[in-house]
Amino acid sequence: MSRRRIVALFRRVVSEIRRDRPSLALLFIAPIVITGLVTFILRESQAPQVTAVVVNLAGPRGLAVGNALEAALRTDGATVSDVADEAAARAAIADKAASVGIVLRPGAASGGSLDVTVITNGLDPSGDVAQVSAIQRSVLAAATAATGTAIPAVNHATVYGTPTDDPVTTFAPAIVAFFAYFFVYILTGVSFLRERTGGTLERLMATPVTRGEVVLGYTLGFGLFATIQVAVLLLWALGSLHVGALGPLPAFSIGLGISASGSPILAFLVVVLLAVGAVSLGIFLSTFARTELQIIQFIPIVLAPQFLLSGVLFPVSSLPSILQPLVAIMPLNYAVDGLRQVFIRGADLGVPALQLDLAVLGIVAAFFATIAALTIRRDVV
Amino acid sequence: MALHVEPDLDGAGPPPAIRAHGLVKSFGTLRAVDDVTFDLAPGRIYGLLGPNGSGKTTLIRLLTGLTVPTAGWAEVLGTRMPSRPNLGRIGYMTQTDGVYTALTVSENLHFFGAVYGVDGGEPVEHALGIVDLAGRRSSIVGTLSGGQRRRLSLACALIHRPPVLFLDEPTVGVDPLLRVQFWAHFRALTDAGTTIVVSSHVMDEADRCDELLFVRSGTIIARGTGQEIRVQAGTADLEQAFLRLGGNVEVTR
Ligand SMILES: Nc1ncnc2c1ncn2[C@@H]1O[C@H](COP(=O)(O)OP(=O)(O)O)[C@@H](O)[C@H]1O
Ligand SMILES: [Mg+2]
Repeated sequence: MSRRRIVALFRRVVSEIRRDRPSLALLFIAPIVITGLVTFILRESQAPQVTAVVVNLAGPRGLAVGNALEAALRTDGATVSDVADEAAARAAIADKAASVGIVLRPGAASGGSLDVTVITNGLDPSGDVAQVSAIQRSVLAAATAATGTAIPAVNHATVYGTPTDDPVTTFAPAIVAFFAYFFVYILTGVSFLRERTGGTLERLMATPVTRGEVVLGYTLGFGLFATIQVAVLLLWALGSLHVGALGPLPAFSIGLGISASGSPILAFLVVVLLAVGAVSLGIFLSTFARTELQIIQFIPIVLAPQFLLSGVLFPVSSLPSILQPLVAIMPLNYAVDGLRQVFIRGADLGVPALQLDLAVLGIVAAFFATIAALTIRRDVV
Repeated sequence: MALHVEPDLDGAGPPPAIRAHGLVKSFGTLRAVDDVTFDLAPGRIYGLLGPNGSGKTTLIRLLTGLTVPTAGWAEVLGTRMPSRPNLGRIGYMTQTDGVYTALTVSENLHFFGAVYGVDGGEPVEHALGIVDLAGRRSSIVGTLSGGQRRRLSLACALIHRPPVLFLDEPTVGVDPLLRVQFWAHFRALTDAGTTIVVSSHVMDEADRCDELLFVRSGTIIARGTGQEIRVQAGTADLEQAFLRLGGNVEVTR
């Protein structure tokens, strides 16, 4: 290993990326825009607008319950009207005049029980679920009002962190890790493919440079940009810079303002280890690509499973048990977990779970660096 | 720097700079290089001449140790190839330009200089001067013409002043005036002891070489000075000579 050659390789990679505006935008602006958008969507999602039509087929008893229900719905901000029969209710929903129909019928059980059927459009399942749960809340409120019995309140406490209804807190660590992995992989893969197809690797192999030096130089070069990217993303995710109102501009704040309890330095370490593995993965996979498009085509094979199986979108614990062995070998999984350990639990280096995450990420990075170096063979350029 | 080679009294001459012995490279059933043996003396320009696909690039890759021979061996400056330290004494201008198009001319030269262990401005200025690119030092390589890139590629192969140079079709796309300068520089290098192997698929520069090696289907079908080959083939035209010495097999097949 020659330090001079490694530094030369490092500087070369840095000068190349520095001039590549689209890549810089991909590294720094894209993740900020996407995380900002996702955060906005998650936090500001609107409560469903309920426009209910009520059909009473249960006589006077139904009328009493129906009135209580309508009152509860109106209290929750819904628009309510009565229609004669179920066909009219379905027609109103089909015409989009109503979002939901409520049909009251005599219950199957004796003693004057009632059945409540909720009719929704059916084209938008998740919207329908929101409508139904809004009705359920109102039914509960109406029942409480009618019987005069209070329903016990359910409170929530957590071992780590504090209970929060901010979904971004768990989402942010996942998305930071994913972006670091994704962009570093694409940039290295494309860059190294150019090296292979452009004849520069052939030329490099005709110099005293060793393949270990090449991998190290690339890792340092792309590692530098990954490091800056992660620093910027963490600042963005954790920061909350309040900007006061100025003239016609309303007050606003910069940053997602996620509350985190652990050390940002540790979070940083986790993502940098992940990114180092991504550099080597890019070098390795560039062996199997002939065009830059093929680097992109590896994404569904290599990155999509990680996205699905590493708790970015679905909690790992809710994944089917048959997939759990796969979960255990996804590098991204350890980074996401490590970041959550740091962000939510406030873990330090003494926490075994974080030690495991860091160890696995380190081993994965070393493993891929080795196989990446093995693909830089003289005959394979 | 200058290395004047006096013939030994017993007539054995200096040790060869480049040796090939029974070199074979097969790709599947194709023998791209088929049993090549030669010794090349130092301080001379050797022309590796043959049509496209005759095996010139593969032969150079075998001599530089960039590809593993199916059989045989190659030696450069007394060291068996492949040898990574020995690569520091070899310059290789690849057939594709092999320069970084996103970097500037001088960044490319500084990079290859550092990789070969020659630091800083002086070697870069020297190389820029040889290929007449000093005025474009700050240009991004992607904005250069094909001929200018070819010149940069040559400069990158020369930057560490290697005693052995392999140039794979160096003058393709280079204008006639600059070609003359190139050859003058090659001659100056060999006068100082450098050994140069130049490949070409055209014959018009053959007479600038000290010795020619005709390559056809991976074998050396003739070797000698331009004059010797003309006499041997009984024609004043080297194209004709190539065909008469066995180069026609490919044409008639
Ligand atoms: N990596 C390779 N795999 C398969 N065939 C190859 C490879 N490299 C060269 N060849 C074949 O070997 C022959 C000689 O190629 P090459 O040495 O490039 O010829 P030249 O440089 O004289 O044009 C050609 O038929 C070419 O297709
Ligand atoms: Mg060739």
